[in-house]
Amino acid sequence: MNKIITLASLMFTAFAVTAPAEDWLERLNENLTVTALDGNVRLRLSGMLDLEAYHVDKPAPGLIYTDHDFLFNPRLTLFVDAQFGPHVYGFVQSRVDRGFDPSEMNARMRLDEYALRITPWDDGRFNLQIGKFATIVGNWTKRHDSWSNPFITAPGPYENLTGIWDSSGPGDADTLLYWAHVFSGESAASVYSDKYLRNPIIWGPSYSTGISISGQIGMFEYAAEMKNSALASRPKSWEIGEVDMDHPTFSGRLGLRPNQMWNVGVSLSAGPYLLDEAQQYLLPGQHAGDYREWVLAQDISFEWHHLQLWAEFFETRFEVPGLGHVDTFAYYLEAKYKFTPQLFGALRWNQQFFGNLRDDLGNRVRWGRDMWRVDMALGYRFTANTQMKLQYSFQQEDFALHSITNTIAAQFTLRF
Amino acid sequence: MKARPLILCLIVSTLSCVSARAQAVIEGKVALPKAHSAPVVSKRYEIVSKGGVLATDPPTAVVYLEGSFPKGAAPATAKMAQKNLNFVTPLLPVQVGTKVEFPNEDDTYHNIFSYSPAKRFDLGRYRPEERPIPSQVFDTAGMVTLHCDIHEHMRGIILVLDTPHFVRSDTEGKYRLTGLPPGRYTLKAWVNSKTTLVREVDLKAGTTIRVDFP
Repeated sequence: MNKIITLASLMFTAFAVTAPAEDWLERLNENLTVTALDGNVRLRLSGMLDLEAYHVDKPAPGLIYTDHDFLFNPRLTLFVDAQFGPHVYGFVQSRVDRGFDPSEMNARMRLDEYALRITPWDDGRFNLQIGKFATIVGNWTKRHDSWSNPFITAPGPYENLTGIWDSSGPGDADTLLYWAHVFSGESAASVYSDKYLRNPIIWGPSYSTGISISGQIGMFEYAAEMKNSALASRPKSWEIGEVDMDHPTFSGRLGLRPNQMWNVGVSLSAGPYLLDEAQQYLLPGQHAGDYREWVLAQDISFEWHHLQLWAEFFETRFEVPGLGHVDTFAYYLEAKYKFTPQLFGALRWNQQFFGNLRDDLGNRVRWGRDMWRVDMALGYRFTANTQMKLQYSFQQEDFALHSITNTIAAQFTLRF
Repeated sequence: MKARPLILCLIVSTLSCVSARAQAVIEGKVALPKAHSAPVVSKRYEIVSKGGVLATDPPTAVVYLEGSFPKGAAPATAKMAQKNLNFVTPLLPVQVGTKVEFPNEDDTYHNIFSYSPAKRFDLGRYRPEERPIPSQVFDTAGMVTLHCDIHEHMRGIILVLDTPHFVRSDTEGKYRLTGLPPGRYTLKAWVNSKTTLVREVDLKAGTTIRVDFP
């Protein structure tokens, strides 16, 4: 706890240093755009510096990879947005940090996103995008960066781990149950030991590689994508060099926006979740491409004045040859409200339920830990370019030795 | 009886002419900085994006007279619209106490806010047909930088001035301040947040003087 207080103090100090630089940052922003060919080619460099820290009960929840109770994760994100004439747009996102999930001890640089988008008509009826970019499924990816996300962590469905691995298929039901840690009384260290191998139903913004089309016709929106890996796949699988397009994942979303306040969407996604390297561990006659993830999702958002509401619901099925299939349902409800021009608060309720499967003795057993979590956050924008967030999360999981876990997190963001 | 209003009208007209002749005029030119590049709109996470490029307004300056002036009538309501994902116009000089309306003339939400010490506000998300039109009263002199919480590239400035005598230059920097009372004053040209040029002026009734800000 003292570490968090110390870190929060450091972040306030960082603000004290950056506040006088606000005017300088504004002028820097003006100078980070370059043009060529009479303004037909324009590039803008921008970025975000995040200093974030977590104090967690063990085992750490979600995608926080640490076996300590404290994790400090600085991150520098750089964006390049480019407009080539009126109809071609491109962007790149690169990060320097300790890994997309902060499991690495040393900083490294990654190219998280790169894409080129062609918009032939000015009214946005059709867009074609190719590259490595966030999924079109759901409504969270639009606000997943640290400046736009009112929380520090992702919603439950985007980070709560299941017993599904992408490096191997479970040979029998008991293996899957063992991977899902549904047996009571397991220690935190035991649960943490194979955490890196487990997958959520949708891994953060899912920056996988592929091609998408999207558009708006009247009040209707549509989007479809063909990507190299499933929604559940980990960051390693998003690279086209790691997973090719032999077994693509297809996703689509249909949206309805009757006015600026409401946006409702339905998404469907299907694709194999096992890595090619898992083939060597499968039984004869089984293929990695047969282990498919199906996701049916509904999303809704409402925005009006200082209030924003979001909700998403995910019905997910993992096909497991030899066992049939296993199902899980996850959802979250999220609200953000600006109390003053600079102070905002946010509240999020997350819940996930797991279906049953027959264990090796023929008993019906739940194949995952049902969980609920409430996230509370307070954020303060010191300037138009600096922001501080504090988050407290309270989570309860079935079968856990310590069924209740607490997480406290702080994040300071400087954007330019 | 019918001749009386006519005589009254003639007297008022004569007095007005004398008064206008008694007022001074300042005109001149302000050297303007280079125009900035048009912004690049971030469409990274817009599933649906529209084609086209943003236009950019060339820079202008605000020239104003500082001094002690009698309190006049309440300033008229001013307007700073959002159109084509830009502020129209991006630089708006107003007198202290002015109410500024922020009509949304796009077909999407805007969320205009400012954290400037002279005025902190956040209008929240509002639609084009929002009524009443979101507005704020600017009652402290200073520079107010406007942003949009949804469209990161948008920038606007409201210059709140403690004087009724101000004018925005044209895009060549030319300006003309009329109806000025005689006396010694400070003439200022606001060029950008870092540059305000200053000249002392001595205004005589019925004269026009030229002041250039190089």
